[in-house]
Amino acid sequence: MDFSLTEDQVLLRDTARGLLVNECPTTMLRDHITDPSAADRLTAHLGEFVGLGGGDLTDLAIFVEELGYVAAPGPFFANTALFAPLLAALGSPLLDDVLEGTTTGTVALAGTDGSWRVNGETRKTFVPEADRVEWIAVVDEGPTVRLTQGLPTRLIERVDTTRRLFDVDTTGEKGETFEINPDALAGAIERATVALSAEMVGTARRMFDMTLQYAKERIQFDVPIGSFQAMQHKLADMSLAIERATSAVQYAAMTLTEDDVDRHRATHVAKAAAGAAVTRAAKDGIQIHGGIGYTWEHDLHLFMRRAYGSETWMGTTGYHHDRLADLLIA
Amino acid sequence: MKLAYEAEDEAFRAELITFLDQNTPTEVGTRDFGSDGSDGEDIVPEWSRKWQAQLFDAGWMVPAFPPELGGRNCTPVQTLIYLEEIARRGVPRSLHFPGYAIVSPSLLEYGTDEQKKLVPAAVRGDTIWCIGMSEPNAGSDLAGLRTRAEVHDDAFVVNGQKVWTSYAQVAQKCCLYVRTNPDVPKHKGISLLIVDMDTPGIEIRPLRHITGAAEFAEVFFDDVIVPRENLVGDLNDGWRLTQGSLAHERAGLWVEGVARLEQSILALVDLAKRLGADRDPVVRREIAAAYENAASLRALGYKGFASFAQGSSAPEHSYMKMATSEASQAVFELGTKIQGSYGAVVDSERGEENGRWIRGFFTSFAGTIAGGTSQIQRNIIAQRILGLPRS
Ligand SMILES: Cc1cc2nc3c(=O)[nH]c(=O)nc-3n(C[C@H](O)[C@H](O)[C@H](O)COP(=O)(O)OP(=O)(O)OC[C@H]3O[C@@H](n4cnc5c(N)ncnc54)[C@H](O)[C@@H]3O)c2cc1C
Repeated sequence: MDFSLTEDQVLLRDTARGLLVNECPTTMLRDHITDPSAADRLTAHLGEFVGLGGGDLTDLAIFVEELGYVAAPGPFFANTALFAPLLAALGSPLLDDVLEGTTTGTVALAGTDGSWRVNGETRKTFVPEADRVEWIAVVDEGPTVRLTQGLPTRLIERVDTTRRLFDVDTTGEKGETFEINPDALAGAIERATVALSAEMVGTARRMFDMTLQYAKERIQFDVPIGSFQAMQHKLADMSLAIERATSAVQYAAMTLTEDDVDRHRATHVAKAAAGAAVTRAAKDGIQIHGGIGYTWEHDLHLFMRRAYGSETWMGTTGYHHDRLADLLIA
Repeated sequence: MKLAYEAEDEAFRAELITFLDQNTPTEVGTRDFGSDGSDGEDIVPEWSRKWQAQLFDAGWMVPAFPPELGGRNCTPVQTLIYLEEIARRGVPRSLHFPGYAIVSPSLLEYGTDEQKKLVPAAVRGDTIWCIGMSEPNAGSDLAGLRTRAEVHDDAFVVNGQKVWTSYAQVAQKCCLYVRTNPDVPKHKGISLLIVDMDTPGIEIRPLRHITGAAEFAEVFFDDVIVPRENLVGDLNDGWRLTQGSLAHERAGLWVEGVARLEQSILALVDLAKRLGADRDPVVRREIAAAYENAASLRALGYKGFASFAQGSSAPEHSYMKMATSEASQAVFELGTKIQGSYGAVVDSERGEENGRWIRGFFTSFAGTIAGGTSQIQRNIIAQRILGLPRS
């Protein structure tokens, strides 16, 4: 049981940080609210890393955590954390093109209830970045996967302006349909879920860092607000939630990478712990910032948007607790 | 990052398992980890004394120690494996932790050659130790302690009172924190003395725990004479020594807490099934949330261990005591809630498991109070880890 990062992993994390600090400033996140092409330059830079979609989840998780830290917009996550593992589960030759960066895709799975379970509905919801990729892989009952292009999409407006989710109308005979092994499909979804959890940990960490710094700087009653015990205990609890989630995600990534028997439980634990951490960081983060945190000008809300966007995507904390209960209590 | 252990570590595990299978006393199974021993039971029963000595003689008491101290010079990873295996089986090494876990490491680090000679008996359990820190007016604010030790050429003369002293009524020796200089800032006038509990002038009045069992005591000191050579470390340098605990094992101290938590959650699932509460969606969610907490804390413990084994400081460990004790409190409370109107019943004919859940809930406050309350832990996290200014 070794949770330490390898030298390559440390290098990967540091490279990601170096790139993102320049290529994903909050000014770009603001431009992206009205103009999705604002993220194109970032997407081009990230092209160098699409190969992570075919490698160990432990590596991908390290990288996407950094994307979460900057609330990176664009199709990278959909392409590498969702589309690529689905193609791998399918054994599709298209995977090589994705990993070489010559094509991109996303996945349409959830039905109208928004839950990430296989269904026979023709309208799929919460499909990420559907208008910015070449392929949409539609998962249907069977289970089957249909690789399609050019399906009609409609942006679903959500508070999260950093990740764009779509309704996709999958009627019509477009695309080629393949059967997929249900366990392999479940594994691909678990991989995406853990990757999303890693990303959420990054977002939580960002809000926490902003808040901790503010608590040290903001003076009231002639002292930094961070010297008040009510603030200190909130910050201690935020940091505990984040530490727990970080570790749970790392563990889940290891179980999936090594096909360990604990991987199903670990996946639900990771998403629930990440959900708890990111929502706590958002709520306490705003509260500790006071009035400035309530303004549009302050950047905190960009991350709070991402936080709730992620908490409600691929299964809420409650959903994952219920699935976990099914495994524990039967 | 990987899940598997090396072959030599698995060999270590196999040897330990063989030893435990062949030697674990049958009495171990009869101890309920949710309670702290029922009324009238010996605090340190004969079987546990024999067991501790047997572990010591076989090099399984503190495996990271050398053989003469009850160990086998094992690696940090092996210590983790050891702690995992004994926790998984619910096997206690000893029923009195101060001697091997707190006193021995302090004496090894700060003691004179003579004082170091006390260590083997402390680890083997032949000598029972207690720790005299808390006083009626010095709990969380330990540095405010007032028990006085007048300094004479060849001896100290001690007057004052300690409280909540665990094991005082069965201990032969006490690590006693005293004020040797009242005229300097409070942290700077404290010293640590080794005191024989049968010295004239010591009076011990047992205090009963919240559960009813008498496991700690008030200890009164009236002109108690302590030889000068019983001073540990330098005069007035005792504060530094209060931070001591088993450094070899600090990175693994969480293992037992997390293992007990996980065992309680499994028992909670059984309880819910027995009572038909397992179909209740609220109960299901709460059990899953408890499991999420426990599983993520285990992962956090391992992560902290990884930094520790690499030689860096591991802030993760500051969270573990607070988080596991609070999580366990919540699990026991949930166990009582699932029983509805029977939640507070301890009657063996009517209640569930002899009141295991409500008793365990009561006992859980030892975890959130003793050894630094949860509030003090949050202060420490905020100030030492997060670097926030003191209030
Ligand atoms: C089962 C058990 C075994 C024990 N064994 C021993 C032993 O062997 N030897 C020994 O010396 N002691 C022992 N103790 C004593 C224990 O260490 C103290 O009870 C503990 O440190 C708290 O001190 P206190 O009881 O005086 O509470 P107080 O310090 O009076 O605290 C009361 C409340 O105030 C809060 N509080 C205090 N200061 C602060 C602060 N700065 N910020 C926020 N909140 C604060 C606390 O969190 C608590 O909620 C034991 C206690 C228990 C329960």
